[in-house]
Amino acid sequence: MTTPAMMYVHDWRAWQPGRRDTSQPRLSVAEKPAGGHVPAMLRRRLTGIGRALCDMLAELDVDADCPLLYASRHGDGERTLEMLNALAEEAPLSPARFGLSVHNAIPGVYSIGRGNRRTQQAIAASGDEFAALLVEARGYLAQGEPAVIIAFAEQAIPARFTAHFTTPIETAAVALRVSLTPTQDAWALTPRPLTSDDTAESHPQPSDLIDWLCGTRDELHCHRPRQAWSLVRGE
Amino acid sequence: MTSELEHELKHLIIDTLELEDVTPEDIDPDEPLFVEGLGLDSIDALELGLALQKRYGIKLEADSDETRHYFRNLRTLAALVEERRTA
Repeated sequence: MTTPAMMYVHDWRAWQPGRRDTSQPRLSVAEKPAGGHVPAMLRRRLTGIGRALCDMLAELDVDADCPLLYASRHGDGERTLEMLNALAEEAPLSPARFGLSVHNAIPGVYSIGRGNRRTQQAIAASGDEFAALLVEARGYLAQGEPAVIIAFAEQAIPARFTAHFTTPIETAAVALRVSLTPTQDAWALTPRPLTSDDTAESHPQPSDLIDWLCGTRDELHCHRPRQAWSLVRGE
Repeated sequence: MTSELEHELKHLIIDTLELEDVTPEDIDPDEPLFVEGLGLDSIDALELGLALQKRYGIKLEADSDETRHYFRNLRTLAALVEERRTA
């Protein structure tokens, strides 16, 4: 018996500078994303990842009317570190940088720039970001939202912290439009119980999800303490 | 006509506030800097205040009528720097 799908992936966009799969039309590898849908006076405060997300969201949510669930484990590490260094030196903080140091800064700028006043959530989950996004999305869809955008973004860890990570974090961002409605082109997302083989920890980062979306990885495992999700691409 | 100080302030504004698409010629010395004209916002005002302090040693009250007067346009800003600079 097959488990019913938990939700369906209807469309996606991704950004990973320097990645090679340039033939994939949903993937941007631009070093400097345009951020063209956000007015210039707002855009100037966004880094590359923020501009990339604004570009993706404009295409996935054309009417700017979907709730947005955004997750990042580390946020903007370089800027945070810059501010901490300034504080350590008792130098004044840049008000603009400080204003954008909150975890929901990118969704906030997108919301102002595009006039999307729907629910937004910014999540950090110690490596379980993708699983947390699925859980949250499921909640909004169960409450009757016709579609939800989930966005997942990371930036490379600042050099002075890389020694603490066994797996390097790739700079990348990815966004999916999900719903409970199956269509011919949609991919089903199905939960399954853990098996005895599921012992390894699995913390997918945005670049892993992009690998799966681009077809360079067959399965994406996303283990939680008592649950595992498996994404199954449609035929 | 734009004075040398006004020219310097134009560059300070563009660099400090990361105005990507703005050139010094785009900033009219008599046009408002905030909301209308150049279209800067309240965070820019704080950022500019900090830059004036770093570059010229000028300290301003964030919410005084005097500050509002000096931040009106590039000419008033240049007058402030002429009057109060210590660096």
